[in-house]
Amino acid sequence: MKNFIELKNVKKTYNIGDQKYNALDGIDLSIAQGEFVVILGPSGAGKSTLLNLLGGMDKATSGSIFIGENDIAKYNDKELTRYRANDVGFIFQFYNIMPTLTVLENINLIKDVTNTSKDAKEVLKGVGLLKHADKFPQELSGGEQQRVSIARAIMKNPKVLLCDEPTGALDSKTGAQVLKLLREQSDCDTTVIIVTHNALIADIADRVIRVKNGKVESNIVNDHPKNIDEVKW
Amino acid sequence: MLKRKMFRDIRKNLSQFITIFLMVMIGVMAYSGIKAYMGGMQKTADKFYSENNLFDLNVMGLLNHDDLDIIKDIDNFNDAELKLSVNAITDNEKTLLLNFIESNNISKFYVVSGEGFDFDKSGIWLDDFYCEENNINIGDVVLVKYDGMELHEKVLGRINVPDHLYDVRDSSELYPDRKEFGFAYMSTNEITKDYIKSLVMKQLDISDEKIFDMYMPDFDYKEYIPFSSIMVDVDDLSNTDNVKNSIEDKVKNAKAIINASDTVSYVTYQGEIDEGKTYVGVFSGIFLFIAMLSVITTMTRVVKNQRVQIGTLKALGFSNSKILFHYIGYGFWISIFACIVGLLLGYYAIGNTFIRTEMAFFEIPNGAPFMDVSSYYVSVIVVLIVGIITYITGRSILSENPAETLRNKIPSVKGSALNITKNGFFNKLSFSSKWNVRDILRNKMRTIMGIAGVVGCAMLIVCALGMLDSMNFFVKLQFEDLYNFDYKLSVKEDISDKELQVLYDKYGNYSSQSLGIEIKDENGKREANNIFVTDASDYVRFVDNKNKIKSMPDDNGVYVTYKLASNKGYEIGDEIEWHIYGDNKYYTSRIIGFNKDPQNQNISMTRAYLESLGIDYKPDSIYTNMDLSDVKEIQNVLTIQNIDNLKEGMNGMLSMMKTMLVLIIGIAVLLGGIIIYNLGILSYSEKQYQFATLKVLGFKDKQIKNIFIKQNNWIAIVSIIIGLPLGYYLTDWLFKTAIEEHYDFGANITLRTYVLAAIGTFIVSYLVSKFLSRKIKKIDMVSSLKGNE
Repeated sequence: MKNFIELKNVKKTYNIGDQKYNALDGIDLSIAQGEFVVILGPSGAGKSTLLNLLGGMDKATSGSIFIGENDIAKYNDKELTRYRANDVGFIFQFYNIMPTLTVLENINLIKDVTNTSKDAKEVLKGVGLLKHADKFPQELSGGEQQRVSIARAIMKNPKVLLCDEPTGALDSKTGAQVLKLLREQSDCDTTVIIVTHNALIADIADRVIRVKNGKVESNIVNDHPKNIDEVKW
Repeated sequence: MLKRKMFRDIRKNLSQFITIFLMVMIGVMAYSGIKAYMGGMQKTADKFYSENNLFDLNVMGLLNHDDLDIIKDIDNFNDAELKLSVNAITDNEKTLLLNFIESNNISKFYVVSGEGFDFDKSGIWLDDFYCEENNINIGDVVLVKYDGMELHEKVLGRINVPDHLYDVRDSSELYPDRKEFGFAYMSTNEITKDYIKSLVMKQLDISDEKIFDMYMPDFDYKEYIPFSSIMVDVDDLSNTDNVKNSIEDKVKNAKAIINASDTVSYVTYQGEIDEGKTYVGVFSGIFLFIAMLSVITTMTRVVKNQRVQIGTLKALGFSNSKILFHYIGYGFWISIFACIVGLLLGYYAIGNTFIRTEMAFFEIPNGAPFMDVSSYYVSVIVVLIVGIITYITGRSILSENPAETLRNKIPSVKGSALNITKNGFFNKLSFSSKWNVRDILRNKMRTIMGIAGVVGCAMLIVCALGMLDSMNFFVKLQFEDLYNFDYKLSVKEDISDKELQVLYDKYGNYSSQSLGIEIKDENGKREANNIFVTDASDYVRFVDNKNKIKSMPDDNGVYVTYKLASNKGYEIGDEIEWHIYGDNKYYTSRIIGFNKDPQNQNISMTRAYLESLGIDYKPDSIYTNMDLSDVKEIQNVLTIQNIDNLKEGMNGMLSMMKTMLVLIIGIAVLLGGIIIYNLGILSYSEKQYQFATLKVLGFKDKQIKNIFIKQNNWIAIVSIIIGLPLGYYLTDWLFKTAIEEHYDFGANITLRTYVLAAIGTFIVSYLVSKFLSRKIKKIDMVSSLKGNE
């Protein structure tokens, strides 16, 4: 399979007082288009930093990050904004939905930044939330809110879907439903990258990357990913 | 969609946006209101002066038609009218400034009701305010007594006249008493032939009427009316000085020529506007400043609260400019709306109310506020500032990476800035004090803004109460220290020595005389002033610059008031060249001392010194401590004034002031409270994480509350220490610069005011902190700490 995402010697250094801290210390990895990837690692390993760099939310100190043909590590702020608007969908642990917009409005918000958006109602139907379209986020359960977040992310038809602990705030049943939805996205050729503490999720991934001390500890292709229903939570 | 988000966010954070709305509205309302009021005063007067043709020059003396003809021949002349003004008494012992005129094209009547002036009509046109106070209506008949002449006149009109906006019987009265004193106009036709004949006979020293008739068989009494002034209208204001000089040269009977802008009515009205102009700058400036501070703090709070949402929008791909415009919109629409409401309320509520109050004091028709263009500019500036504040706050968040923005902000700590708190004295401080000192050092800007807001609040309270103190001090100084008499009798101008002696014998010989003079400076420029000649012993006293009573003046020179001396650069030992109006002989007097006069900036001398110059002393006032409460009329005395009534007039003015001051204090407390609240919330949200940690460590809520309140208390104390003296200087500056030229009194603020302002400010700050500290109890340790992982 052709590599869609390729990171070459990516470093991210933070200055804390007089000290330098390498959150990422020369990461090299490749991910194919449509892969369902799980990034695992202990706290402070650099998982979220890696996700932020992939999503154009932060800039690498050095190295290259190719998304398709483009090295987004060389992007300026404007280009990064365009990249986030058109190519990336984000799913956060705490959903980050606009509390003052209804479910439908939260999803339609994407129309303000990209022209490649899908039909909002269709998307909502896809995540099973059409009947909640006119509700405010506060009126929904955690799982439903996370589904809104997923709907918003897939609304723009992203090339990459980046998920930071998407099931972290959910119970196991709801978490499974969310993962199912994400898996469906990768089946439709969207690259899905999930950062998590939860090693169980690794069983359903096409590729499992373990990160430790800012370095890739292992990068294993799972030849026989399990079905979500097979996983015991 | 972002617009919907904006409106919903506004609705969700309604209290914060109402705060912004109120602050901007109050600031703009205060500014535009006072401006509308001041502008309205000016426009109303300008309109009245121009439409009713206020005279340009008033020529005074014993004048006749020949003098009028001379003036009519002068270049640049437009029109002129003769007028005889006398003090008359009505049947119920009220005083009227009665004017006899032949025509009414200059200083024309504004007819409130009834009819306009008609030379051939028999009747009287009366002061509208006087009619109102005394319940006089058109068609009523009033009795007017003057110099033995008794006239029963039907009221033909109730009028306003442009040179009678402010009328007091006597300069010692400050507040017009419209019930007791008014003005009236009549046609010269109403002056009886017999009266004029008796005047001319007295002048010619003829006592037998038959002899007079033989002596003047064709006596036309109208030619002998002793007019007291000629009102002159010049063709163009720029020619006023030329016309004045020509009249001085050609009209020998002219004793004094006064410009319209030098008359008491004009000066007092204009003084009120000038005074207001300073207030508008100072008060509305401070209001706007505090209001903007609170908007800054609120807007910063709003935007910082949206930090995670900003991060999300960035993550979703919204551009910085789009996000910025979105957030600028919050303040923009609110402040535009607030400005519009502020402008309208300023115009209708403040402008209109104050104009109405002024119009009850000054007799001028059609008083209306005027929307000054600067109010629009201020509104635009306010909207821009709100936008810029939002821009700056938003930008600082947007400059971060979206990844960073999505985390809650923990204030950065620069170790070097806190080094000072590691040694010496700081080591001995308690944990909470050390914590607060360090927190202040880390958040200098927030602390400075907090101090500025509370300083403004303390300053305004000191100033508002201090103005009242100072006015009370002035009343005491004027009516208890300087005026040490119970009654003042204004003596008739033509009183004989014999008649004067009768008054002396009965009421004592403590008297004074006021002389209208012109002072000539070294460049030959002349300026009007007056000399107070005292023979009143201790009944009229003098004070020095520290308001301490001075010993009786010496007899070898003149005393000048401090303010006049400072304006003119006079020093002790300097000589002043002056002449009395109506007499061209110049005198040179040496300045031998200064005195302070809160009401008049003039020159004083003793009777002995006046007589040493060869000038006759003719008192116009006699002072007495006898009880005259039952005396209604004294022969050869025009008015009997009781010191308590004079004081009463001042108190009337003070009560008007009190209403305004209560408003200022109210707004000050409101604005101060909001700033403290906003900064408290800001500082609370920044510290929430640390408070949660303290909670986890086992600190009790009360201990944490004390830490939080302590800092706000410090800020309040420091602000009070700075604000109190600033309040004094503001009051002193206001009194010294804003007040009319002829007043001289600075701030005299009592200890009580400082104590009240300090306690008031502290209480506001303490209560707000106490209110905010209740949040500490509700801190959810898990989510507060989780959010900052």
